Amino acid sequence: MRAYLAGFDRGFRRTIADPGDMAVRVGFFAIILVVMVALWRAAIAAHGGSIGGYDMRSLLWYVFAAQTAVLGVRPRSVEEIGDEIGSGAIAIQMLRPVSVVGLRISIELGEGAARLLTALIAGGMLTWWFAGPPPSAAGLALAVPAVALGCAANVASQHAFGAVAFWLLDAKSSWFFYQKLVFLPGGMLIPLELLPHPLELASRLLPFATMAYVPGRLASGDADPMLLAWQLGWLAALMAIAVAAFAAGERRLSVVGG
Amino acid sequence: MDAIVVDQLRKTFAGSGRMRKRAPVEAVAGISFTVAAGERLAYIGPNGAGKSTSIKMLTGILHPSSGQAEVLGLVPWRQRRRLAGRIGTLFGQRSQLWFQLTPRQTYSLLARIYRVTADEERARIAELGELLDAGDLFDRPVRSLSLGQRMRCELVASMLHQPEVLFLDEPTIGLDLVAKSLFRDLIVRINEERGTTILLTSHDVSDIEQVARRVIVINHGRLIYDDRVSQMRRTLLGTKMIDVRFAQPPDSLEIEGTRLVKLSGAGAKLVVDTTLRPIRSVLDDLLDRHEVVDISVSDPPLEEIVSHIYARPA
Repeated sequence: MRAYLAGFDRGFRRTIADPGDMAVRVGFFAIILVVMVALWRAAIAAHGGSIGGYDMRSLLWYVFAAQTAVLGVRPRSVEEIGDEIGSGAIAIQMLRPVSVVGLRISIELGEGAARLLTALIAGGMLTWWFAGPPPSAAGLALAVPAVALGCAANVASQHAFGAVAFWLLDAKSSWFFYQKLVFLPGGMLIPLELLPHPLELASRLLPFATMAYVPGRLASGDADPMLLAWQLGWLAALMAIAVAAFAAGERRLSVVGG
Repeated sequence: MDAIVVDQLRKTFAGSGRMRKRAPVEAVAGISFTVAAGERLAYIGPNGAGKSTSIKMLTGILHPSSGQAEVLGLVPWRQRRRLAGRIGTLFGQRSQLWFQLTPRQTYSLLARIYRVTADEERARIAELGELLDAGDLFDRPVRSLSLGQRMRCELVASMLHQPEVLFLDEPTIGLDLVAKSLFRDLIVRINEERGTTILLTSHDVSDIEQVARRVIVINHGRLIYDDRVSQMRRTLLGTKMIDVRFAQPPDSLEIEGTRLVKLSGAGAKLVVDTTLRPIRSVLDDLLDRHEVVDISVSDPPLEEIVSHIYARPA
């Protein structure tokens, strides 16, 4: 456990040591929020002040939490994992007396924690300025751990998807597919309630909704603690899948030459 | 006591291409050998001979197709993580340092991974820094280090947990002559001062001569030679190559104990039979008789040594 905590700590310190990257991310986040405010303001005005049960304020707090949870994750992790497996660089990580996927996830969670802290503070202030106070203090209080759990579920899931490269030697295609799954069934672009009914039902059965929709839903004012339980369940399952996929993949790793 | 025992180890990679139509590749074709604790072994062969594949099986990265191996009494591919705590590895073409961090920050993480206490970590980093003359490099970002400096820092990372066996896969690749020489000395010192078993792969003949006491040569995945380096030097390393550039094209180039391989304008390539005449004497002769602009001495390529091995009487 010491090794994984050290990995988390190293990831955290490495990220805060690179303020340039943090500034770019927060700047990009602010632009997304401004664009979303304009879009949703027009959409809600066209629907008489509410859409899918969300008014302007709740929708903007939804957007803030959903985007923050995704912002915490290393953007192209699936692709990077695939490149490391395909090139054989993963072999170096296999020469340490700890779980390869465990150490990778702990480092990425450390990086994510640093990004989330910044995004929560900067994004929260911006959202407050644009939309006013959150619809529910309890909802916001639950949204904060939900953002962290959503980020963790996303990291675990990216490792499960990236492990495909043990078989295909590349994860570019799965990265493309994965990104879209977080965007739509994950609720990053729009709340699930705004999707067509069959797609909304299917999305609720998939793990991606725990990565953006759950934090967003809580921040929008629905202070339902069962949403956190839903996240925790999927997080455990995704971690187990990632560990199993790496264990199976490491056994069949084929690295030729130096 | 044997640190490494290998028995009929074999690795065949499945065929590639659509529907796996290409034939399977037998990278390691049933090799057997043992390495005693504290030994310095060079495990050499031309490109594609199966050296790296062997090392990857002995460190547990690859599962063999058949055969057995034990490193420090553990089966590498079944007990990889346990073994990882007792061996060190250094791959010349792959880095174990995090490029965004300083070496010291990487060592700190590695110390937690290998369960090295904070006191031990401090003491070992200071000791290895002194031994490898690298202490002033530890607080610089890895990306700002030269290859030679980085390799010294890599070696510290490999030695931090005091491994009993050190696997070095092409550790001098890309280094300049001075850095290579320094690096070879370091490996020998680590072996002599700590008793660490060394298994070194390389296709640089000088690595073998200066680091190892014993040499195993493999080719096409098969073990074709296993003897002491001193014996190999007598039987297989009896030549040196001299590349020389003169101020003016020489009229004749007949020097005792040498064979002229190539003469083009002011440049020439000579092969010296060191069993007939020491290299130094040939160099003296060349410098006395001609105005030399540039000169270099090198070992014969490994491919030539391999062909000598095959040409030996059975």
